[in-house]
Amino acid sequence: MKRRQLFTVLAGALVAAGLGQAAAQSVPAGYPADYAKLITAAKGEGKVVIYTSTDSKQSAPLVEAFKAAYGIDVELNDLGTNGSYNRALSEAAAKQVGSDIVWTSAMDLQMVLVQKGLADAYASPEIKNLPAWAVYKNLLYGTSIEPAAILYNKKLFPADWVPKTRADLIKVLKDKREPLKGKVATFDPEKSGTGFFFSTADVRHTKDFWDLVSAFGAAEGKVYGSSGAMREKVVSGEHVMAFNVIGSYALEWARENPNLGAAFQSDYTSTFSRVAQISKGAPHPNAARLFLDFMLSDKGQKALSDKGVPSIRADVGTLNSATLNQLVGGGLKPTAVDEHLTEYMEPKKRAEFFQQWKKALGR
Amino acid sequence: MAADATAAAHLAAVTTRPGNAGAFRIAVITALAIAVMTPVGLIVYQSFLDGPFFDESAKASLWAFKYVLVDADFWRALRTTALFAFGLVAVAVPLGAGLAFLLTRTDIPGKAILEPLVLVPMFLSSIVLAFGYTVAVGPSGLVSIWFRETLGGVPWNIYSLWGMIVIGGLSHVPNVYLYVASAMRSLPSDLEEAARSSGASMWRVLLDVTLPMVLPALIFAAALNLLLGFETFGIPLVLGDPNGIVVLTTYIYKVSTVFGTPTYHVMAVVAVMLVLITLPLVFFQRRLLRHSRRFAAVGGKGARASLLKLGRTGKIVAVSLVGAWLFVSVVLPIGGIVLRAFVDAWGEGVNLADHLTLDHFRKVLSEASLYRGIVNTVLLAVIGGAIAVGIYLLVALAGHRNTGRSGTVLDYMVLMPRALPGIVIGLAFFWVFLFVPFLTPLRPTLASLLIAYIVVGLSYGLRILQATLLQVSPELEESARVTGASIGRTWRDIVIPIIRPGLAGAWALIMIVFIREYATGVYLMGAGTEVIGSLMVSLLTSGAMDQIAALSFISVVLTAVGLGLALRLGARIHD
Repeated sequence: MKRRQLFTVLAGALVAAGLGQAAAQSVPAGYPADYAKLITAAKGEGKVVIYTSTDSKQSAPLVEAFKAAYGIDVELNDLGTNGSYNRALSEAAAKQVGSDIVWTSAMDLQMVLVQKGLADAYASPEIKNLPAWAVYKNLLYGTSIEPAAILYNKKLFPADWVPKTRADLIKVLKDKREPLKGKVATFDPEKSGTGFFFSTADVRHTKDFWDLVSAFGAAEGKVYGSSGAMREKVVSGEHVMAFNVIGSYALEWARENPNLGAAFQSDYTSTFSRVAQISKGAPHPNAARLFLDFMLSDKGQKALSDKGVPSIRADVGTLNSATLNQLVGGGLKPTAVDEHLTEYMEPKKRAEFFQQWKKALGR
Repeated sequence: MAADATAAAHLAAVTTRPGNAGAFRIAVITALAIAVMTPVGLIVYQSFLDGPFFDESAKASLWAFKYVLVDADFWRALRTTALFAFGLVAVAVPLGAGLAFLLTRTDIPGKAILEPLVLVPMFLSSIVLAFGYTVAVGPSGLVSIWFRETLGGVPWNIYSLWGMIVIGGLSHVPNVYLYVASAMRSLPSDLEEAARSSGASMWRVLLDVTLPMVLPALIFAAALNLLLGFETFGIPLVLGDPNGIVVLTTYIYKVSTVFGTPTYHVMAVVAVMLVLITLPLVFFQRRLLRHSRRFAAVGGKGARASLLKLGRTGKIVAVSLVGAWLFVSVVLPIGGIVLRAFVDAWGEGVNLADHLTLDHFRKVLSEASLYRGIVNTVLLAVIGGAIAVGIYLLVALAGHRNTGRSGTVLDYMVLMPRALPGIVIGLAFFWVFLFVPFLTPLRPTLASLLIAYIVVGLSYGLRILQATLLQVSPELEESARVTGASIGRTWRDIVIPIIRPGLAGAWALIMIVFIREYATGVYLMGAGTEVIGSLMVSLLTSGAMDQIAALSFISVVLTAVGLGLALRLGARIHD
């Protein structure tokens, strides 16, 4: 009897100590006091399911850090942008929501999901650390800031040809048209959502985008559906330079391979952000909130930044919005997470863009 | 394939009385109809709506048809597709027929090695093949660089319609070879010998004697490859896309971005169009063979064909021709894949020795999803393949020596899923598993992929099983029937025991088909159900070429294992 009592007391003390310790460890500084409840509830759910377009290679440290902090399992579905959108939309219609968080680089597609009412509002305690343009009605959160870059082959594209401004880029395409014939690449806006996004951002923010496309078309440039496909061609020398490549990848590749270089234009660098939303009807709603907060926290942002995904904050890691702006020469242009994102979803506007694209390209 | 079986059934019908397997036939065909027509019907239904079928505001509409029919890009894609498909046939049929002639009717040396080698391109997914060609003969490919350095220029460009046609054609040669070789094998050789001994050259014998006799097989192979040409996705995706060469299957991809969001009704319309184009082909194929006797099984034990003597020079010429074809169709693409899998940079001005690495494999094995993809692919191929053989056997038995109308229905039904682009049929299956209540528990499991694979692989799987079944000579079944056995009993006691070794071979072949599959899983797979082929397609959109190279290499190795197994188990590849 006595022994049993002692055991019960001991066990109770251990549990209490354990819980207290966990709570004390996990509630991050500056979070509301009742955040411990969210953590407990999330642990009870035990799992968070994410639909994403981010490679598992880039997201792995974030996922590991989250698991280490809370012991909650993370199921990452790398479905691509269209795949994530398709699955989220279909599952909502079938009333079988499988995702807790949708997190992709397709800002426009996710804004469509938000406008269709498929996102749950949640005021993250991290909002105060984010720029105002990065949060849309507590529904959609920017989680990174990623520039468009030029990727070039250092052996085949002379250093003094590397453009420093947008005007330089057009100039080199025009002046060196013969040597560059068929050797320049860019995104195909007809095939890639990111390509479309960079192109329409350029139309909105610059005056000379169509001159650029004409010069590119005259140099018989080739268009691709992904940054990786362009990298392959630039590495092999089939192309010597590609513009409007995803800059965070370009920087990583240039670091890995001494033959490659990444460059930015100081006067104007367009960007996109990977955006995240909590799914309405998420099977693990508390774990979803916890993960979103973690992704935006300094720990989560640092884990992403260490893997080459620049932090949307200015105070985290070595690669963040402030250091990135220095790196590109001061012309970093954030894309606000707001209704403008779906501007080009309007069929007429979209069709006009494609018409003009083809005309300028001369094909 | 299916049509062969029908022709054979005609032959058998003369002697076999109608049996008592009617209930079995109806049950199997009904089950099959549900499995096939649910996704196909969903696609057709979706094509007549103005929004996603699950959207309550979607109404019946011809809008998507109108959109597609006035879209200049659609017509351009259709024209390109037709050029590609006919070009592919023009390349594949003469080459395949020539190879079949050399390997079956002449005494060319090294047959034992050549025969399986000739089939290799057929077993590789076209994504893997196209990728291998990029590294070998692309603008910065090893062979291209060598050409440029020694001859000052490269006379080809694989990123053109011509390049696609030649590569597509070469990779479809085995499909022609299979049919023509099986027809040629069963030809009596007395006519050829007569021509030869009255002084005709080898060339004349081939053109004037052998070819006319196998004409039905040639036309059949041509129609089949035309159909395959219309469906090709991997080659245009890798080789056509960068230059803006769009075919119908890649047009579907493009439509999504043009609208901003995936536009299911337009995708469905394009899929329906593809079916409308290919169905007449199937019809034509069937008509053609209706009255021509099945060529592979004529006359039971025909006289053993004696081989034409090539002579010394003839042998050298023949072996070099086959060798050249093998070099271009097998060595180049596989060499490209192997190379790319072990280097991190290649092309102009790159010393490969400096870039050797095992990193890509480390990356693949350390990424949980890619590692699971390999495990899942093996599971699907080995276990799923065995289940598939069982199901195909049931279906093949239902169609075996079946002359009735249900045989015709079966033939068309089996080809339906093949005629639809893999991406779209995969999407339809995704919806079926999402919206059909009792199927939803299967969705996050490999069972969903297996069901889709079995349906998509029906035409190929049945062809293999039917060929195996046809090994059983009708006399055996007839004797059982005459002595009073039911059809069920005949199958159980006579047919299945005889074909048991054939089933093992069929299993190995289906394994290869499942390893090769890539389009079907693109929308269907999720965390935990990744497969190599579909992973490659999705990696292609993010452009992780290192991982694609390693996965391609692994896929080639798995295929080689499967093929080795198939040969050991005595698969009837040659039927």
